[in-house]
Amino acid sequence: MKHLTPEKSRALADTAFRIRRLCLEFITCAGWGHIGGSFSEAELLACLYGGVMTVSPHAPDSPARDRFILSKAHASPALYAALAIAGFIPEERLFTYCRLDGLDGHTQRGQCPGIEYSGGSLGTGLSYATGLALGLRLQDNFASRVFCLVGDGECNEGQIWEATMSAAHYRLDNLIAIVDYNKVMAKGKMSDLMPIEPLARKFAAFGWSVIECDGHDLAEICCAFHRAKYLEMNGRPVVVIAHTVKGRGLPEAEFNYHWHTHSPSVPQAEKFLAALNRTYERNERFSRPLSSPKDGGLEAVVTADLTPA
Amino acid sequence: MKLSYSSQPLREVFGETLVELGGIHRQLLVLDADLNTSSRTVLFKQKYPDRFIQCGIAEANLFGIAAGLAAQGYTTFPSTFAAFAARKALDQVYVNIAYPNLDVKIAGSYCGMTATECGPSHNCAEDLAVMRSLPHVKVVDPGDNRELRAMMHAMMAKPGPVYFRVSKVNAPELFGADHTFEFGRGHLLRSGRDVTLVGTGFMTAVALGAAALLERDGISAAVVHMPSIKPIDEDLLVRQARATGALVTIENHRVFGGLGGATGEVLAREYPVHIDMLGLGDTVFEAAPLQDLLRHYQLTPRAMAAKAHALVQRKRRASAA
Repeated sequence: MKHLTPEKSRALADTAFRIRRLCLEFITCAGWGHIGGSFSEAELLACLYGGVMTVSPHAPDSPARDRFILSKAHASPALYAALAIAGFIPEERLFTYCRLDGLDGHTQRGQCPGIEYSGGSLGTGLSYATGLALGLRLQDNFASRVFCLVGDGECNEGQIWEATMSAAHYRLDNLIAIVDYNKVMAKGKMSDLMPIEPLARKFAAFGWSVIECDGHDLAEICCAFHRAKYLEMNGRPVVVIAHTVKGRGLPEAEFNYHWHTHSPSVPQAEKFLAALNRTYERNERFSRPLSSPKDGGLEAVVTADLTPA
Repeated sequence: MKLSYSSQPLREVFGETLVELGGIHRQLLVLDADLNTSSRTVLFKQKYPDRFIQCGIAEANLFGIAAGLAAQGYTTFPSTFAAFAARKALDQVYVNIAYPNLDVKIAGSYCGMTATECGPSHNCAEDLAVMRSLPHVKVVDPGDNRELRAMMHAMMAKPGPVYFRVSKVNAPELFGADHTFEFGRGHLLRSGRDVTLVGTGFMTAVALGAAALLERDGISAAVVHMPSIKPIDEDLLVRQARATGALVTIENHRVFGGLGGATGEVLAREYPVHIDMLGLGDTVFEAAPLQDLLRHYQLTPRAMAAKAHALVQRKRRASAA
């Protein structure tokens, strides 16, 4: 995975496109979901599950696997889609997103193969990943790595920096943090709300190895992960700062915080698919007819009970 | 009684009332942790940008800054989701706000199951229990839009920490324009002889629905709305316990430590009667739309009526024995 062959590169691009298309489908059907942060991490997940990480749908709990923690757990749709594409869960399962007995809006540990972490409260994933990495070390497991995908917004949380300090102290070079640096938080631009620059220098000052890459360029991503996984075993944890675009692939959603948490209507989803097809020069359709749900809320429930059968 | 429901969600009233209060009280500041268009503090931000303070996605920081500003003489409204106020920043809320008794009004947004599709990380069935256990903190859950507005006016008139609940729910219209709110005062919305149904927040609508169903079965149910969980209206609870001998509570919260717990504490001490509680059990509010959650966790008029029915039978058996 250090150098991408043209075939591998095409396969990863296909995966990234499919992640976006599937997210668009099942988020529309759920009537809820995070498009912006899912689309910014699509290439990162395509690479991680497309060969960077040692994981297998046939042995999802193998002790020798690499661990993946999605600290920015609101962007679970892209992870669920990546897991479906990699064969961990059937594609059908995606359409249970946000329904009772279905996939959680944020990730829930053990809910389906490949989900290692109950998330949703921002800033908590990197400490958890530090614990996993420390545990692997205590168990003399030198093969497995822990990958932790962190949102840029959650770098506002103090706990991220507590974890950063701890991982460096314990010399956890089996821990690889990835920052999906899409520059936009839930309600506006990071630079307006609470900037985190200089991010690379912050991690470096905490004793981490820092690698920066274009988080949508598959060759750059694979090269960065190769370095992180194999070439930086120098007693320091590694952070890959991936510069990305929130909502990448949909011109209307790019850098637009309106699409942080928002689900499209069915006609909007059709338009978005057309836009995705234009961006990535494809001509794909949805896998099924889409419908968006309606929540009648409290009124519907009370009224239904009081209406004589 | 046919209820109508507001077309304006509670959070909108929260935002508008902040603007209204901001015009009256120049020392009022609003603090946010990157959720202002969800909580609707954005309305205040637009009107008074100089008195709106963005703390980043950093809830410990949010409550610490709110406390420091309060110590400088401001009345602060730090706002985030209930889950992050009650679970994530609890130490800051206790050490920096509750214990020194500072003038901080904590709005817990998306309370109970109303973070809906966000699932267990954001749904918060603990906030009433947690906040009620802290010293000096008053804890309230408004039943409708008018009550939320009245509540916010009342908290401005009384310095000290308050925790109040806000959500995106379209609440039932329980009260008329003359409605007033007082800390520690509940409201008897409907009289009855056999059982008293006690609700807080918008769940009082479910209690009213249950009372109507019970009436069809020949059971006369009183309904109490209890917006103030701490302090709670002890006199009203005792009066109802005497009059009906059985109480069923309902809340958008776990059955531990919230309205049901507070009711049980009062009556165990003052006037023990048959009590049952509806709310979340020893589990989590999963991700789903609100209507599905209400039904799945049995927080419906039908479920409450069944519980009340069983309790009335138990009371009758006990008094016959």
